[in-house]
Amino acid sequence: MSARPSPDPAPADIRAELRRATEALAAGDGGRGRAVTSDLSIDEALLLHSIGWEPVELVCGVSLCSIPSGIWSWGQGEIAVASAAQGMAFEGAVSRIADECTRSGGHGVVGVHVEVAVDRYHVDVELVGTAVRPVGASSGADVFVSDLSGRDFSLLHQAGWRPVGLAYGASFVYAPRRSASTSLKQSRENVELSNFTEAMYSARELAMERMQSTALTMGGTGIVEVKVTEGPMPFAHHAIGFAAWGTAVRLEAESHAYLRPRVVLSLDDAVVQFEAESLRSQ
Amino acid sequence: MADDDALPEAAERRLGSGGFSSGLSVPDFAACLAMGLRPVGLVQGFCVMKWSWYGAGSPYQQASSPYSAGGDGGAYAETYRCPHGFVSADHRAWGQNYEQTWVEAAWAQGFGSAYVRLVEEATAAGAHGVIGVVDRARHLTELGVTEFHILGTAVVVDGGSPPPGGRPWTTYLAGQRLAKLIEAGLMPVALAAAMSSVRVWAYCMTDYLMEGRNLSWGGAGAQEVDQVVRAHMAVRQLARSHVRGQLGSDSLHGARLTTSERRLGEGDEVIECILRGTRVRRFKDFDPVAPPMPTVSLS
Repeated sequence: MSARPSPDPAPADIRAELRRATEALAAGDGGRGRAVTSDLSIDEALLLHSIGWEPVELVCGVSLCSIPSGIWSWGQGEIAVASAAQGMAFEGAVSRIADECTRSGGHGVVGVHVEVAVDRYHVDVELVGTAVRPVGASSGADVFVSDLSGRDFSLLHQAGWRPVGLAYGASFVYAPRRSASTSLKQSRENVELSNFTEAMYSARELAMERMQSTALTMGGTGIVEVKVTEGPMPFAHHAIGFAAWGTAVRLEAESHAYLRPRVVLSLDDAVVQFEAESLRSQ
Repeated sequence: MADDDALPEAAERRLGSGGFSSGLSVPDFAACLAMGLRPVGLVQGFCVMKWSWYGAGSPYQQASSPYSAGGDGGAYAETYRCPHGFVSADHRAWGQNYEQTWVEAAWAQGFGSAYVRLVEEATAAGAHGVIGVVDRARHLTELGVTEFHILGTAVVVDGGSPPPGGRPWTTYLAGQRLAKLIEAGLMPVALAAAMSSVRVWAYCMTDYLMEGRNLSWGGAGAQEVDQVVRAHMAVRQLARSHVRGQLGSDSLHGARLTTSERRLGEGDEVIECILRGTRVRRFKDFDPVAPPMPTVSLS
Protein backbone atom coordinates (compact mmCIF):
# COMPACT_ATOMS: atom_id res chain seq x y z
CA MET A 1 0.00 0.00 0.00
CA SER A 2 1.83 3.05 -1.22
CA ALA A 3 -0.45 5.75 0.15
CA ARG A 4 -0.18 6.00 3.90
CA PRO A 5 -1.13 9.02 5.96
CA SER A 6 1.52 11.23 7.48
CA PRO A 7 1.80 10.63 11.25
CA ASP A 8 0.64 14.02 12.50
CA PRO A 9 -1.02 15.89 9.65
CA ALA A 10 -1.75 19.56 10.16
CA PRO A 11 -5.23 20.91 9.38
CA ALA A 12 -5.42 22.22 5.83
CA ASP A 13 -6.20 25.83 5.00
CA ILE A 14 -9.27 25.14 2.87
CA ARG A 15 -9.36 28.66 1.43
CA ALA A 16 -5.77 28.30 0.24
CA GLU A 17 -6.54 24.85 -1.18
CA LEU A 18 -9.50 26.25 -3.11
CA ARG A 19 -7.43 29.11 -4.53
CA ARG A 20 -4.74 26.63 -5.54
CA ALA A 21 -7.37 24.47 -7.26
CA THR A 22 -8.78 27.43 -9.22
CA GLU A 23 -5.28 28.44 -10.28
CA ALA A 24 -4.62 24.94 -11.59
CA LEU A 25 -7.92 24.99 -13.46
CA ALA A 26 -7.18 28.43 -14.95
CA ALA A 27 -3.73 27.28 -16.00
CA GLY A 28 -5.33 24.41 -17.89
CA ASP A 29 -3.37 21.75 -16.05
CA GLY A 30 -4.57 18.39 -17.30
CA GLY A 31 -5.77 15.64 -15.01
CA ARG A 32 -3.16 13.53 -13.29
CA GLY A 33 -3.24 9.78 -13.71
CA ARG A 34 -6.00 7.55 -14.95
CA ALA A 35 -9.60 8.70 -15.32
CA VAL A 36 -11.80 7.12 -12.67
CA THR A 37 -15.58 6.75 -12.61
CA SER A 38 -17.23 6.07 -9.28
CA ASP A 39 -20.58 6.29 -7.53
CA LEU A 40 -18.95 6.46 -4.11
CA SER A 41 -19.43 9.56 -1.98
CA ILE A 42 -16.37 11.66 -1.20
CA ASP A 43 -16.47 10.27 2.34
CA GLU A 44 -16.34 6.72 1.03
CA ALA A 45 -13.51 7.57 -1.38
CA LEU A 46 -11.51 9.14 1.47
CA LEU A 47 -12.13 6.15 3.72
CA LEU A 48 -10.96 3.81 0.99
CA HIS A 49 -7.79 5.87 0.58
CA SER A 50 -7.23 5.82 4.34
CA ILE A 51 -6.84 2.02 4.15
CA GLY A 52 -4.76 2.16 0.96
CA TRP A 53 -7.50 1.38 -1.58
CA GLU A 54 -8.87 3.48 -4.45
CA PRO A 55 -11.93 3.46 -6.75
CA VAL A 56 -11.36 2.43 -10.36
CA GLU A 57 -14.55 2.16 -12.38
CA LEU A 58 -18.34 2.17 -12.19
CA VAL A 59 -19.43 -1.39 -13.05
CA CYS A 60 -22.76 -3.14 -13.67
CA GLY A 61 -24.20 -6.62 -13.96
CA VAL A 62 -27.68 -7.54 -15.14
CA SER A 63 -29.54 -10.77 -15.65
CA LEU A 64 -33.10 -11.62 -16.57
CA CYS A 65 -34.39 -15.19 -16.36
CA SER A 66 -37.69 -16.41 -17.69
CA ILE A 67 -40.30 -18.35 -15.73
CA PRO A 68 -42.69 -20.61 -17.64
CA SER A 69 -46.40 -19.83 -17.48
CA GLY A 70 -48.64 -21.99 -15.34
CA ILE A 71 -46.23 -22.55 -12.50
CA TRP A 72 -47.93 -20.04 -10.21
CA SER A 73 -51.22 -21.94 -10.11
CA TRP A 74 -52.10 -23.88 -6.96
CA GLY A 75 -49.77 -26.67 -5.90
CA GLN A 76 -47.77 -28.02 -3.02
CA GLY A 77 -44.22 -27.54 -1.80
CA GLU A 78 -41.59 -25.42 -3.45
CA ILE A 79 -42.08 -23.74 -6.84
CA ALA A 80 -38.72 -25.05 -7.95
CA VAL A 81 -38.62 -23.46 -11.41
CA ALA A 82 -39.17 -19.96 -10.01
CA SER A 83 -36.56 -20.53 -7.29
CA ALA A 84 -34.10 -21.72 -9.93
CA ALA A 85 -34.85 -18.69 -12.12
CA GLN A 86 -34.09 -16.26 -9.32
CA GLY A 87 -30.91 -18.11 -8.36
CA MET A 88 -29.82 -18.14 -12.00
CA ALA A 89 -30.55 -14.41 -12.37
CA PHE A 90 -28.44 -13.59 -9.29
CA GLU A 91 -25.62 -15.79 -10.52
CA GLY A 92 -25.66 -14.22 -14.00
CA ALA A 93 -25.67 -10.66 -12.67
CA VAL A 94 -22.87 -11.35 -10.18
CA SER A 95 -20.81 -13.03 -12.88
CA ARG A 96 -21.18 -10.05 -15.23
CA ILE A 97 -20.32 -7.38 -12.67
CA ALA A 98 -17.29 -9.44 -11.63
CA ASP A 99 -16.21 -9.68 -15.28
CA GLU A 100 -16.48 -5.90 -15.67
CA CYS A 101 -14.46 -5.47 -12.49
CA THR A 102 -11.72 -7.75 -13.77
CA ARG A 103 -11.59 -5.94 -17.12
CA SER A 104 -11.27 -2.56 -15.39
CA GLY A 105 -8.36 -3.76 -13.25
CA GLY A 106 -10.32 -3.86 -10.00
CA HIS A 107 -9.82 -6.34 -7.19
CA GLY A 108 -13.43 -6.18 -6.05
CA VAL A 109 -16.67 -4.24 -6.20
CA VAL A 110 -18.03 -2.33 -3.20
CA GLY A 111 -21.25 -0.44 -2.54
CA VAL A 112 -23.23 -2.69 -4.87
CA HIS A 113 -26.87 -1.63 -5.19
CA VAL A 114 -29.04 -4.72 -5.61
CA GLU A 115 -32.35 -4.42 -7.46
CA VAL A 116 -34.54 -7.51 -7.71
CA ALA A 117 -37.89 -7.58 -9.50
CA VAL A 118 -40.08 -10.69 -9.74
CA ASP A 119 -42.63 -10.73 -12.53
CA ARG A 120 -45.05 -13.49 -13.45
CA TYR A 121 -42.85 -14.58 -16.36
CA HIS A 122 -39.35 -13.43 -15.43
CA VAL A 123 -37.01 -12.40 -12.63
CA ASP A 124 -34.73 -9.38 -13.12
CA VAL A 125 -31.58 -8.71 -11.09
CA GLU A 126 -29.53 -5.55 -11.52
CA LEU A 127 -26.25 -4.77 -9.72
CA VAL A 128 -24.37 -1.45 -9.86
CA GLY A 129 -21.24 -0.69 -7.85
CA THR A 130 -17.71 0.67 -7.95
CA ALA A 131 -14.69 -1.49 -8.70
CA VAL A 132 -11.85 -0.85 -6.24
CA ARG A 133 -8.26 -1.97 -5.78
CA PRO A 134 -5.25 -1.37 -3.54
CA VAL A 135 -3.66 1.93 -4.63
CA GLY A 136 -1.61 1.40 -7.78
CA ALA A 137 -2.11 -2.39 -7.83
CA SER A 138 -2.33 -4.37 -11.06
CA SER A 139 -5.39 -6.47 -11.95
CA GLY A 140 -6.63 -8.88 -9.33
CA ALA A 141 -7.06 -12.57 -10.08
CA ASP A 142 -9.85 -13.28 -7.62
CA VAL A 143 -12.34 -10.41 -7.50
CA PHE A 144 -15.08 -10.08 -4.89
CA VAL A 145 -18.53 -8.50 -5.18
CA SER A 146 -19.92 -6.84 -2.06
CA ASP A 147 -22.91 -4.73 -1.18
CA LEU A 148 -21.04 -3.20 1.74
CA SER A 149 -20.61 0.58 1.58
CA GLY A 150 -17.13 2.07 1.29
CA ARG A 151 -17.33 2.86 5.02
CA ASP A 152 -18.23 -0.69 6.01
CA PHE A 153 -15.60 -2.14 3.68
CA SER A 154 -12.90 -0.01 5.31
CA LEU A 155 -14.07 -0.96 8.82
CA LEU A 156 -14.07 -4.62 7.86
CA HIS A 157 -10.59 -4.24 6.40
CA GLN A 158 -9.26 -2.59 9.56
CA ALA A 159 -10.74 -5.40 11.64
CA GLY A 160 -8.76 -7.94 9.59
CA TRP A 161 -11.60 -9.34 7.47
CA ARG A 162 -12.16 -9.36 3.74
CA PRO A 163 -15.30 -9.79 1.63
CA VAL A 164 -15.26 -12.81 -0.65
CA GLY A 165 -18.48 -12.36 -2.60
CA LEU A 166 -22.19 -11.70 -2.68
CA ALA A 167 -24.04 -14.66 -1.17
CA TYR A 168 -27.67 -15.12 -2.17
CA GLY A 169 -30.54 -17.54 -1.92
CA ALA A 170 -34.18 -17.51 -2.98
CA SER A 171 -37.19 -19.73 -2.72
CA PHE A 172 -40.85 -19.65 -3.70
CA VAL A 173 -43.31 -21.93 -1.92
CA TYR A 174 -47.03 -22.59 -2.35
CA ALA A 175 -49.22 -21.83 0.65
CA PRO A 176 -51.35 -25.01 0.77
CA ARG A 177 -55.08 -24.68 0.14
CA ARG A 178 -57.39 -24.72 3.11
CA SER A 179 -60.34 -27.04 2.97
CA ALA A 180 -63.72 -25.44 2.35
CA SER A 181 -64.83 -26.14 5.92
CA THR A 182 -61.61 -24.66 7.39
CA SER A 183 -61.89 -21.62 5.21
CA LEU A 184 -65.52 -21.09 6.20
CA LYS A 185 -64.75 -21.59 9.86
CA GLN A 186 -61.76 -19.24 9.81
CA SER A 187 -63.75 -16.51 8.09
CA ARG A 188 -65.51 -15.91 11.42
CA GLU A 189 -62.43 -16.17 13.65
CA ASN A 190 -59.35 -14.22 14.61
CA VAL A 191 -56.93 -17.03 13.93
CA GLU A 192 -53.47 -17.69 12.57
CA LEU A 193 -53.42 -18.89 8.96
CA SER A 194 -50.96 -21.63 9.63
CA ASN A 195 -50.72 -22.61 5.97
CA PHE A 196 -49.24 -19.18 5.17
CA THR A 197 -46.99 -19.17 8.24
CA GLU A 198 -45.67 -22.61 7.34
CA ALA A 199 -45.10 -21.57 3.73
CA MET A 200 -43.11 -18.55 4.90
CA TYR A 201 -40.98 -20.71 7.18
CA SER A 202 -40.43 -23.21 4.43
CA ALA A 203 -39.40 -20.53 1.91
CA ARG A 204 -37.18 -18.90 4.53
CA GLU A 205 -35.33 -22.11 5.38
CA LEU A 206 -34.68 -22.99 1.75
CA ALA A 207 -33.49 -19.49 0.81
CA MET A 208 -31.27 -19.04 3.87
CA GLU A 209 -29.74 -22.46 3.36
CA ARG A 210 -28.94 -21.61 -0.27
CA MET A 211 -27.44 -18.27 0.73
CA GLN A 212 -25.20 -19.90 3.33
CA SER A 213 -24.26 -22.59 0.87
CA THR A 214 -23.10 -20.02 -1.73
CA ALA A 215 -21.11 -18.22 0.99
CA LEU A 216 -19.31 -21.44 1.96
CA THR A 217 -18.66 -22.28 -1.70
CA MET A 218 -16.95 -18.89 -2.09
CA GLY A 219 -14.72 -19.60 0.89
CA GLY A 220 -16.55 -17.36 3.32
CA THR A 221 -16.96 -18.17 6.97
CA GLY A 222 -19.95 -15.89 7.51
CA ILE A 223 -22.26 -13.34 5.98
CA VAL A 224 -22.76 -9.73 7.06
CA GLU A 225 -25.46 -7.18 6.21
CA VAL A 226 -28.01 -9.80 5.18
CA LYS A 227 -31.10 -8.29 3.53
CA VAL A 228 -34.31 -10.20 3.14
CA THR A 229 -37.44 -9.69 1.09
CA GLU A 230 -40.45 -11.88 1.67
CA GLY A 231 -44.16 -12.05 1.10
CA PRO A 232 -46.85 -13.23 -1.27
CA MET A 233 -46.44 -12.51 -4.96
CA PRO A 234 -48.69 -9.65 -6.12
CA PHE A 235 -49.85 -11.75 -9.08
CA ALA A 236 -50.28 -15.01 -7.09
CA HIS A 237 -51.21 -14.42 -3.45
CA HIS A 238 -50.95 -18.10 -2.56
CA ALA A 239 -47.26 -18.17 -3.54
CA ILE A 240 -44.78 -16.99 -0.92
CA GLY A 241 -41.39 -15.70 -2.02
CA PHE A 242 -38.31 -15.26 0.14
CA ALA A 243 -34.95 -13.91 -1.03
CA ALA A 244 -31.85 -13.19 1.04
CA TRP A 245 -28.47 -11.78 0.14
CA GLY A 246 -25.45 -10.37 1.91
CA THR A 247 -21.68 -10.15 1.77
CA ALA A 248 -19.77 -13.32 2.56
CA VAL A 249 -16.63 -12.58 4.57
CA ARG A 250 -13.63 -14.40 5.96
CA LEU A 251 -10.88 -13.52 8.39
CA GLU A 252 -7.65 -12.59 6.60
CA ALA A 253 -5.62 -11.53 9.60
CA GLU A 254 -4.50 -14.01 12.25
CA SER A 255 -7.23 -12.79 14.54
CA HIS A 256 -10.01 -10.24 14.61
CA ALA A 257 -8.69 -6.75 15.32
CA TYR A 258 -10.94 -5.06 17.84
CA LEU A 259 -11.33 -1.45 16.74
CA ARG A 260 -12.07 -0.08 20.21
CA PRO A 261 -14.47 2.66 19.24
CA ARG A 262 -14.43 5.79 21.36
CA VAL A 263 -17.70 6.46 23.14
CA VAL A 264 -18.98 9.96 22.49
CA LEU A 265 -21.91 11.78 23.97
CA SER A 266 -23.08 14.67 21.84
CA LEU A 267 -24.23 17.72 23.77
CA ASP A 268 -25.66 19.30 20.66
CA ASP A 269 -28.90 18.42 18.91
CA ALA A 270 -27.53 19.57 15.57
CA VAL A 271 -26.97 16.67 13.21
CA VAL A 272 -25.61 18.64 10.27
CA GLN A 273 -22.17 20.17 10.26
CA PHE A 274 -22.37 23.93 10.10
CA GLU A 275 -19.01 25.07 8.80
CA ALA A 276 -16.45 23.61 6.47
CA GLU A 277 -13.74 21.98 8.50
CA SER A 278 -10.47 20.46 7.50
CA LEU A 279 -10.36 16.69 7.52
CA ARG A 280 -7.25 17.02 9.67
CA SER A 281 -8.72 19.40 12.24
CA GLN A 282 -8.57 18.25 15.87
CA MET B 1 -34.07 31.48 -26.73
CA ALA B 2 -33.98 33.84 -29.66
CA ASP B 3 -30.42 34.99 -29.16
CA ASP B 4 -28.08 32.49 -27.57
CA ASP B 5 -25.64 35.20 -26.49
CA ALA B 6 -28.10 37.37 -24.59
CA LEU B 7 -29.86 36.84 -21.29
CA PRO B 8 -33.47 37.95 -20.84
CA GLU B 9 -33.57 41.61 -19.77
CA ALA B 10 -35.17 40.76 -16.43
CA ALA B 11 -32.42 38.24 -15.70
CA GLU B 12 -29.72 40.82 -16.41
CA ARG B 13 -31.49 43.30 -14.12
CA ARG B 14 -31.87 40.73 -11.35
CA LEU B 15 -28.27 39.51 -11.52
CA GLY B 16 -26.97 43.08 -11.53
CA SER B 17 -29.05 44.27 -8.58
CA GLY B 18 -26.31 43.78 -5.97
CA GLY B 19 -28.15 41.39 -3.64
CA PHE B 20 -27.67 37.67 -3.94
CA SER B 21 -29.97 34.66 -4.04
CA SER B 22 -28.92 31.10 -3.34
CA GLY B 23 -30.32 27.59 -3.38
CA LEU B 24 -27.93 26.45 -0.65
CA SER B 25 -29.10 25.09 2.68
CA VAL B 26 -27.96 27.16 5.67
CA PRO B 27 -25.19 24.68 6.66
CA ASP B 28 -23.95 24.55 3.06
CA PHE B 29 -24.09 28.35 2.85
CA ALA B 30 -21.99 28.67 6.02
CA ALA B 31 -19.54 26.02 4.83
CA CYS B 32 -19.09 27.79 1.50
CA LEU B 33 -18.38 31.12 3.21
CA ALA B 34 -15.76 29.35 5.34
CA MET B 35 -14.13 28.04 2.15
CA GLY B 36 -14.02 31.49 0.57
CA LEU B 37 -16.94 30.92 -1.79
CA ARG B 38 -19.27 33.92 -2.03
CA PRO B 39 -22.77 33.31 -3.51
CA VAL B 40 -23.80 35.77 -6.21
CA GLY B 41 -27.09 34.35 -7.45
CA LEU B 42 -29.36 31.40 -8.03
CA VAL B 43 -28.91 30.59 -11.70
CA GLN B 44 -31.13 28.36 -13.83
CA GLY B 45 -31.47 26.92 -17.28
CA PHE B 46 -34.58 25.52 -18.93
CA CYS B 47 -35.29 23.70 -22.16
CA VAL B 48 -38.53 22.11 -23.32
CA MET B 49 -38.12 19.37 -25.91
CA LYS B 50 -40.62 17.54 -28.07
CA TRP B 51 -39.93 13.88 -27.51
CA SER B 52 -40.53 11.43 -30.32
CA TRP B 53 -39.52 8.08 -31.65
CA TYR B 54 -38.89 9.75 -34.96
CA GLY B 55 -35.85 11.78 -35.86
CA ALA B 56 -32.75 12.04 -37.98
CA GLY B 57 -31.15 8.62 -38.10
CA SER B 58 -34.23 6.71 -36.97
CA PRO B 59 -35.38 3.70 -38.98
CA TYR B 60 -38.67 5.49 -39.60
CA GLN B 61 -37.03 8.46 -41.26
CA GLN B 62 -34.84 6.17 -43.27
CA ALA B 63 -38.07 4.57 -44.53
CA SER B 64 -36.62 1.14 -43.95
CA SER B 65 -37.54 -1.82 -41.83
CA PRO B 66 -36.41 -1.58 -38.24
CA TYR B 67 -35.11 -5.09 -38.70
CA SER B 68 -32.74 -4.06 -41.42
CA ALA B 69 -31.18 -0.95 -39.90
CA GLY B 70 -29.00 -0.67 -36.84
CA GLY B 71 -29.05 3.09 -36.38
CA ASP B 72 -26.13 5.32 -37.28
CA GLY B 73 -22.80 3.94 -38.31
CA GLY B 74 -20.84 2.84 -35.26
CA ALA B 75 -23.93 2.58 -33.07
CA TYR B 76 -24.66 -0.57 -31.09
CA ALA B 77 -26.75 -3.14 -32.98
CA GLU B 78 -27.16 -6.91 -32.76
CA THR B 79 -29.33 -9.18 -34.84
CA TYR B 80 -31.05 -12.40 -33.73
CA ARG B 81 -32.36 -15.05 -36.08
CA CYS B 82 -35.09 -17.60 -35.50
CA PRO B 83 -33.69 -21.13 -35.02
CA HIS B 84 -36.91 -22.81 -36.23
CA GLY B 85 -36.91 -22.13 -39.94
CA PHE B 86 -40.05 -20.91 -41.68
CA VAL B 87 -43.12 -21.34 -39.46
CA SER B 88 -45.68 -18.77 -40.52
CA ALA B 89 -45.89 -15.20 -41.70
CA ASP B 90 -46.62 -14.11 -38.10
CA HIS B 91 -43.58 -15.86 -36.70
CA ARG B 92 -40.89 -13.47 -35.44
CA ALA B 93 -38.10 -14.73 -37.61
CA TRP B 94 -35.81 -11.76 -36.90
CA GLY B 95 -35.00 -9.72 -33.86
CA GLN B 96 -32.71 -6.84 -33.20
CA ASN B 97 -31.28 -4.71 -30.40
CA TYR B 98 -30.20 -1.30 -31.56
CA GLU B 99 -29.10 1.97 -30.09
CA GLN B 100 -31.55 4.82 -30.67
CA THR B 101 -28.99 7.51 -31.37
CA TRP B 102 -31.63 10.07 -32.34
CA VAL B 103 -33.32 9.70 -28.93
CA GLU B 104 -29.96 10.08 -27.21
CA ALA B 105 -29.21 13.16 -29.30
CA ALA B 106 -32.57 14.72 -28.38
CA TRP B 107 -31.92 14.13 -24.68
CA ALA B 108 -28.40 15.56 -25.02
CA GLN B 109 -29.82 18.61 -26.80
CA GLY B 110 -32.42 19.21 -24.07
CA PHE B 111 -30.03 18.69 -21.16
CA GLY B 112 -27.18 20.48 -22.92
CA SER B 113 -29.28 23.56 -23.81
CA ALA B 114 -30.55 23.91 -20.24
CA TYR B 115 -26.99 23.50 -18.95
CA VAL B 116 -25.55 26.07 -21.36
CA ARG B 117 -28.24 28.56 -20.30
CA LEU B 118 -27.41 28.00 -16.63
CA VAL B 119 -23.73 28.63 -17.36
CA GLU B 120 -24.60 31.76 -19.39
CA GLU B 121 -26.46 33.20 -16.43
CA ALA B 122 -23.55 32.41 -14.13
CA THR B 123 -21.10 34.00 -16.57
CA ALA B 124 -23.24 37.13 -16.77
CA ALA B 125 -23.24 37.31 -12.98
CA GLY B 126 -19.44 37.24 -12.99
CA ALA B 127 -19.33 33.88 -11.22
CA HIS B 128 -16.32 31.57 -11.07
CA GLY B 129 -18.39 28.47 -10.47
CA VAL B 130 -21.85 27.00 -9.88
CA ILE B 131 -22.32 24.71 -6.88
CA GLY B 132 -25.13 22.59 -5.48
CA VAL B 133 -26.54 21.95 -8.94
CA VAL B 134 -29.86 20.10 -9.14
CA ASP B 135 -31.27 18.84 -12.41
CA ARG B 136 -34.59 17.31 -13.27
CA ALA B 137 -36.54 16.27 -16.31
CA ARG B 138 -40.31 15.96 -16.19
CA HIS B 139 -43.09 15.43 -18.65
CA LEU B 140 -45.32 18.40 -19.32
CA THR B 141 -48.99 18.13 -20.12
CA GLU B 142 -48.67 17.05 -23.71
CA LEU B 143 -47.49 13.52 -24.34
CA GLY B 144 -43.90 13.42 -25.46
CA VAL B 145 -42.98 16.89 -24.20
CA THR B 146 -40.20 17.00 -21.63
CA GLU B 147 -38.93 19.94 -19.60
CA PHE B 148 -35.28 20.01 -18.59
CA HIS B 149 -34.56 22.26 -15.63
CA ILE B 150 -31.11 22.79 -14.09
CA LEU B 151 -30.44 25.17 -11.23
CA GLY B 152 -27.54 25.95 -8.91
CA THR B 153 -25.87 28.69 -6.94
CA ALA B 154 -23.33 30.85 -8.78
CA VAL B 155 -20.31 31.63 -6.60
CA VAL B 156 -17.14 33.71 -6.70
CA VAL B 157 -13.92 32.39 -5.17
CA ASP B 158 -12.48 35.15 -3.00
CA GLY B 159 -8.94 35.75 -4.26
CA GLY B 160 -9.28 32.87 -6.72
CA SER B 161 -8.38 32.78 -10.40
CA PRO B 162 -11.18 33.24 -12.94
CA PRO B 163 -12.11 30.04 -14.75
CA PRO B 164 -10.48 29.29 -18.11
CA GLY B 165 -12.24 31.16 -20.92
CA GLY B 166 -14.48 32.85 -18.34
CA ARG B 167 -16.68 29.74 -18.34
CA PRO B 168 -17.64 28.85 -14.75
CA TRP B 169 -17.00 25.37 -13.40
CA THR B 170 -20.04 23.44 -12.16
CA THR B 171 -20.72 20.72 -9.64
CA TYR B 172 -23.56 18.84 -7.96
CA LEU B 173 -21.68 19.19 -4.67
CA ALA B 174 -21.83 22.01 -2.13
CA GLY B 175 -20.83 22.73 1.44
CA GLN B 176 -18.81 20.27 3.48
CA ARG B 177 -18.79 17.62 0.73
CA LEU B 178 -17.26 20.12 -1.69
CA ALA B 179 -14.69 21.10 0.94
CA LYS B 180 -13.69 17.46 1.36
CA LEU B 181 -13.41 16.98 -2.39
CA ILE B 182 -11.06 19.94 -2.72
CA GLU B 183 -8.96 18.97 0.28
CA ALA B 184 -8.65 15.52 -1.26
CA GLY B 185 -7.05 17.22 -4.27
CA LEU B 186 -9.96 17.18 -6.72
CA MET B 187 -11.44 20.30 -8.32
CA PRO B 188 -14.85 20.26 -10.06
CA VAL B 189 -14.72 21.04 -13.75
CA ALA B 190 -18.25 20.52 -15.09
CA LEU B 191 -21.31 18.34 -14.90
CA ALA B 192 -21.03 15.19 -16.96
CA ALA B 193 -24.27 13.54 -18.07
CA ALA B 194 -25.47 11.30 -20.86
CA MET B 195 -28.44 9.19 -21.78
CA SER B 196 -28.46 5.97 -23.76
CA SER B 197 -31.43 4.27 -25.35
CA VAL B 198 -31.70 0.76 -26.74
CA ARG B 199 -34.74 -0.68 -28.54
CA VAL B 200 -35.40 -4.40 -28.31
CA TRP B 201 -37.28 -5.91 -31.24
CA ALA B 202 -37.85 -9.40 -29.94
CA TYR B 203 -37.33 -12.43 -32.12
CA CYS B 204 -39.39 -15.56 -31.50
CA MET B 205 -37.35 -16.99 -28.62
CA THR B 206 -37.30 -13.71 -26.71
CA ASP B 207 -41.04 -13.31 -27.30
CA TYR B 208 -41.72 -16.81 -25.93
CA LEU B 209 -39.46 -16.41 -22.91
CA MET B 210 -40.78 -12.98 -21.92
CA GLU B 211 -44.37 -14.23 -22.18
CA GLY B 212 -43.75 -17.41 -20.18
CA ARG B 213 -43.98 -19.78 -23.14
CA ASN B 214 -40.62 -21.36 -22.32
CA LEU B 215 -41.63 -24.87 -23.16
CA SER B 216 -42.75 -23.96 -26.69
CA TRP B 217 -40.22 -24.82 -29.34
CA GLY B 218 -37.96 -26.80 -27.07
CA GLY B 219 -37.15 -24.21 -24.42
CA ALA B 220 -35.98 -25.17 -20.93
CA GLY B 221 -37.81 -24.56 -17.64
CA ALA B 222 -36.02 -21.42 -16.52
CA GLN B 223 -33.43 -19.72 -18.64
CA GLU B 224 -31.73 -16.42 -19.24
CA VAL B 225 -33.28 -14.24 -21.94
CA ASP B 226 -30.10 -13.56 -23.84
CA GLN B 227 -31.37 -10.80 -26.14
CA VAL B 228 -32.81 -8.72 -23.29
CA VAL B 229 -29.82 -9.27 -21.00
CA ARG B 230 -27.46 -8.12 -23.75
CA ALA B 231 -29.62 -5.03 -24.33
CA HIS B 232 -29.51 -4.21 -20.61
CA MET B 233 -25.74 -4.57 -20.46
CA ALA B 234 -25.33 -2.56 -23.68
CA VAL B 235 -27.47 0.38 -22.56
CA ARG B 236 -25.43 0.73 -19.35
CA GLN B 237 -22.18 0.38 -21.25
CA LEU B 238 -23.26 3.04 -23.75
CA ALA B 239 -24.17 5.56 -21.02
CA ARG B 240 -20.77 5.06 -19.39
CA SER B 241 -19.04 5.31 -22.74
CA HIS B 242 -20.86 8.57 -23.61
CA VAL B 243 -19.88 10.09 -20.25
CA ARG B 244 -16.29 8.87 -20.61
CA GLY B 245 -16.21 10.80 -23.88
CA GLN B 246 -16.88 13.99 -21.91
CA LEU B 247 -14.21 13.38 -19.28
CA GLY B 248 -10.94 13.51 -21.20
CA SER B 249 -8.32 12.56 -18.63
CA ASP B 250 -10.50 13.77 -15.74
CA SER B 251 -12.60 11.56 -13.46
CA LEU B 252 -16.29 11.20 -12.69
CA HIS B 253 -17.23 11.66 -9.05
CA GLY B 254 -20.56 10.85 -7.42
CA ALA B 255 -21.97 9.01 -10.42
CA ARG B 256 -25.69 8.25 -10.40
CA LEU B 257 -26.91 5.66 -12.86
CA THR B 258 -30.67 5.26 -13.36
CA THR B 259 -32.39 2.92 -15.75
CA SER B 260 -35.98 2.76 -16.97
CA GLU B 261 -37.84 0.31 -19.16
CA ARG B 262 -40.97 0.57 -21.25
CA ARG B 263 -42.34 -2.86 -22.07
CA LEU B 264 -44.25 -2.79 -25.32
CA GLY B 265 -45.49 -6.39 -25.33
CA GLU B 266 -44.44 -9.59 -27.07
CA GLY B 267 -40.92 -9.14 -25.74
CA ASP B 268 -40.44 -5.71 -27.32
CA GLU B 269 -39.19 -2.94 -25.08
CA VAL B 270 -37.20 0.26 -24.84
CA ILE B 271 -34.47 0.53 -22.21
CA GLU B 272 -33.04 3.90 -21.28
CA CYS B 273 -30.16 4.72 -18.97
CA ILE B 274 -29.04 8.09 -17.61
CA LEU B 275 -25.64 8.57 -16.00
CA ARG B 276 -24.69 11.84 -14.36
CA GLY B 277 -22.02 13.08 -11.99
CA THR B 278 -19.37 15.74 -11.49
CA ARG B 279 -16.31 15.77 -13.71
CA VAL B 280 -13.36 16.42 -11.40
CA ARG B 281 -9.69 17.14 -12.03
CA ARG B 282 -6.83 16.22 -9.75
CA PHE B 283 -4.79 19.35 -9.00
CA LYS B 284 -2.43 17.89 -6.41
CA ASP B 285 -1.18 14.49 -5.40
CA PHE B 286 -3.39 12.62 -3.01
CA ASP B 287 -2.54 13.19 0.62
CA PRO B 288 -4.39 10.46 2.49
CA VAL B 289 -6.11 11.25 5.74
CA ALA B 290 -5.49 9.18 8.83
CA PRO B 291 -7.88 6.25 9.34
CA PRO B 292 -10.80 7.81 11.17
CA MET B 293 -11.48 7.02 14.81
CA PRO B 294 -14.54 4.77 15.18
CA THR B 295 -17.03 6.16 17.66
CA VAL B 296 -20.18 4.95 19.35
CA SER B 297 -22.67 7.71 19.94
CA LEU B 298 -24.63 7.74 23.18
CA SER B 299 -27.25 10.11 21.84
